[in-house]
Amino acid sequence: MRMLILSSWLLTAFLIFSPLMAHHAVASPPEGEGVLVYSWNSNVGPLNPHLYSPSQMFAQAMVYEPLVSYQADGTVAPWLATSWEVSEDGREYIFTLREGVTFSDGEPFDAAAVKKNFDAMFLNHERHHWLELMNQLHEVEEAGGEAVTVIDEHTVKLTLKDPYYPILQELALIRPVRFLSPAAFPESGDTSEGIKAPIGTGPWKVVEMVKGEYDVFERNEAYWGGSPAMKHLVVKVIPDSNARAVAFDTGEIDLIYGSGGHGGGQLGLDTFQRYQQMGAVKTAVSPPFATRAMALNTNCFPTNELAVRRAILHAVNKQAMVEHIFLGVEPQADTLFAPSMPYCDLGLTPFEYDADASAKLLDEAGWTLEQGAEYRTKDGKTLALDLCFVGNDALQKSVAEVIQGDLRKIGVQANLVGEEMDSFLSRQKSGEFGIIFGDTFGPPYDPHSFCSSMRVPSHADYQAQLGLPMKEELDEKIGQVLVTVDEKERQDIYEHILTTLHEQAVYLPLTYMTSIMVHRPELEGASFGPTKQEIPFETMEKK
Amino acid sequence: MFRYILKRMALLPPILLAVSLVVFGILRLGQGDPAMAYLRLSNIPPTDQALAVAREELGLDKPFAVQYVRWLGDAVQGDFGRSYVTKNPVLDEIFYYLPNTLTLAAASLVLTLLISAPLGMVSALKKDKLPDHLTRGLSFFGVSMPNFWLGFILAWLFAVKLGWLPPMGKGGLGHMVLPVVTMSLMSLCINTRLIRANMLDNMHSRYVLYARARGLPESVVVGRHVMANSLIPVITAIGMHVGELFGGAVIAETIFAWPGVGRYAVSAIYNRDYPVMQCFILIMTTIFVTMNLVVDICYAWLDPRIRFEGDSR
Repeated sequence: MRMLILSSWLLTAFLIFSPLMAHHAVASPPEGEGVLVYSWNSNVGPLNPHLYSPSQMFAQAMVYEPLVSYQADGTVAPWLATSWEVSEDGREYIFTLREGVTFSDGEPFDAAAVKKNFDAMFLNHERHHWLELMNQLHEVEEAGGEAVTVIDEHTVKLTLKDPYYPILQELALIRPVRFLSPAAFPESGDTSEGIKAPIGTGPWKVVEMVKGEYDVFERNEAYWGGSPAMKHLVVKVIPDSNARAVAFDTGEIDLIYGSGGHGGGQLGLDTFQRYQQMGAVKTAVSPPFATRAMALNTNCFPTNELAVRRAILHAVNKQAMVEHIFLGVEPQADTLFAPSMPYCDLGLTPFEYDADASAKLLDEAGWTLEQGAEYRTKDGKTLALDLCFVGNDALQKSVAEVIQGDLRKIGVQANLVGEEMDSFLSRQKSGEFGIIFGDTFGPPYDPHSFCSSMRVPSHADYQAQLGLPMKEELDEKIGQVLVTVDEKERQDIYEHILTTLHEQAVYLPLTYMTSIMVHRPELEGASFGPTKQEIPFETMEKK
Repeated sequence: MFRYILKRMALLPPILLAVSLVVFGILRLGQGDPAMAYLRLSNIPPTDQALAVAREELGLDKPFAVQYVRWLGDAVQGDFGRSYVTKNPVLDEIFYYLPNTLTLAAASLVLTLLISAPLGMVSALKKDKLPDHLTRGLSFFGVSMPNFWLGFILAWLFAVKLGWLPPMGKGGLGHMVLPVVTMSLMSLCINTRLIRANMLDNMHSRYVLYARARGLPESVVVGRHVMANSLIPVITAIGMHVGELFGGAVIAETIFAWPGVGRYAVSAIYNRDYPVMQCFILIMTTIFVTMNLVVDICYAWLDPRIRFEGDSR
């Protein structure tokens, strides 16, 4: 009897669960030849070209296109605009649009479509406030002018408030200045309320999105730039980097591409190294995309002293770090921006690893190491500082520990402060740190956007530079360089800004961040995009 | 009995209210800022202005009490707000993913019972013989193995090396094998040991002695009397296993890229998606409280002593 009751209880439980199990039919993405399978941490999102998270940038770049495109060498090339003219005062840009381009729904890409997209962005301009280009345009609108003017079907004029030179770099960004088909706009014209469908002019179009499982893209046969080699691209949702490696090993995915490292990364560096040594698969490391750096606070004790900052820069053994923590995947960085970035090839003298030089600098500055003492002192104060990092970021933690060890060797006490991401970011904003991690933005934001943010008080760089005697002058120069029309003058000002920051030892550049790629030899044509978020799937082909 | 159930059901709303207040408070006491998380996910530099816009959009610019009362007012009408990240209604999203997790949990529960009951019995009946040693060894191994580690070992062996099972995603029954085994191994081993211990206890009790004295065949003594009585405490254990299974689901879903609610909740925690976390915790609380109630009712049915005690209350 009791067994009967127990069994009926189990049966009931099953009956409750079984309709739930049948809740969604089992779907499956396209397979076989002509299908390239990639994986990402989440679904690609609604792919609204004028909005941000949860739309994933790499997917937005597949569907939508910019007026101009950022090149690997730091220059800007024609894209949906075939050419442009700049007025003498640097405030007006006249773009000639590419003819014969259509959106994937067949709507023509013309000046009216460009204007309609800009108007939608202006409706939501507060969200784009971080982007100086949008401010420059919107301020013209606010003053009663017209920021975007249709001259004829294939010509558009943009009018800026100031002669802001990085306009072209910012037009090349993945969001928000890319173009949605006029037919996909909501009735109100305000895309911040949502779009009817993600339809752009790009080489790919979205055909299926299954929440939590995968997204399917199909090549846009009518693409003006030549259709992609593969018919379909499937993006599977795999949040865990170890699970991704297993999926690659079993052939569930064809390609691993993105930043290395656990957490938000595509693949742990140790796993990547295993693939590098395996030989049966192809691996590649991209050129530098951004700089993994630390900011030294010039506004508080003891890093307010130039000698201390310079001593710290000489004390860190970056080569060992590259070898043992970054496993050779990220090269050593000696300057805030890689010399390959625009205006950044300045031939600055690196702060070489030299513990003796560090000790000498500190001795000369009066920081003495008492007999038997571990740390240096001056006027009764110990040479100690807070080294701040994100506590659950294994890579940052290891780096912080190595630096702590290196600094101990020269008699500097580094207190490790590992906190959760949001508290860490609050510290960046408030300036409560001795040394703090801070990466540069990478192309196409470097160097102009990064320098521009140095003037904003809520930024770690502003806080770190606040103690410099020439901070005001630096901010002025940054303001100047952004609106300088003359190319030579721009180079000179950048040289001044970056040389000053280098000599003042405000930054401890560690490594240049790279992307990694793993695929089987059957996949041909795989290469790195010009920016971190752009993945050139179009050229990839599975043979 | 009926009154007992009603009384227990009436406790659910105050429990949920208390849990909601605690969860709401704890989330906002933490140092994290969802506006900051939102900007980070969007690759937008967190300037004061950008933060202010994001906070206003997410309704975080209002005082705590106002936020809570608003949320509660909507929640009692079944509206748990929209996810900060996806902007979709939270309840819809959770109910989209929940069936996938329930499928895994139900399959794990069935697997646990189907394997642990015979194993436990054999182990008890063959006490100190080879089957008993083997079972106890397996139980010891299973209880000590962390499930994330087990998951990776299983994926490596059965998906990578042998190629017998798919390593990830949702699909046919084959896709369920690895996550279900990962989730159930620990409960299975605990249950096996529990059944073994109960059987041994019962076999030495006086009613068994009496049954034997009446001349009942050994198969009837063990089959009808000892087994039935040994399974009663297992019901309580099942109630606890449900909790373990949901915990295990979070890990199994991450390792095997299974689109369940556990994985969804983990990403919500990472993104400080308050509305999702609040709703998730309330739904889990409801499941736990209901499971406890179901277990108690089953127990009362199976053991008359509890039933009568329950009625007298």
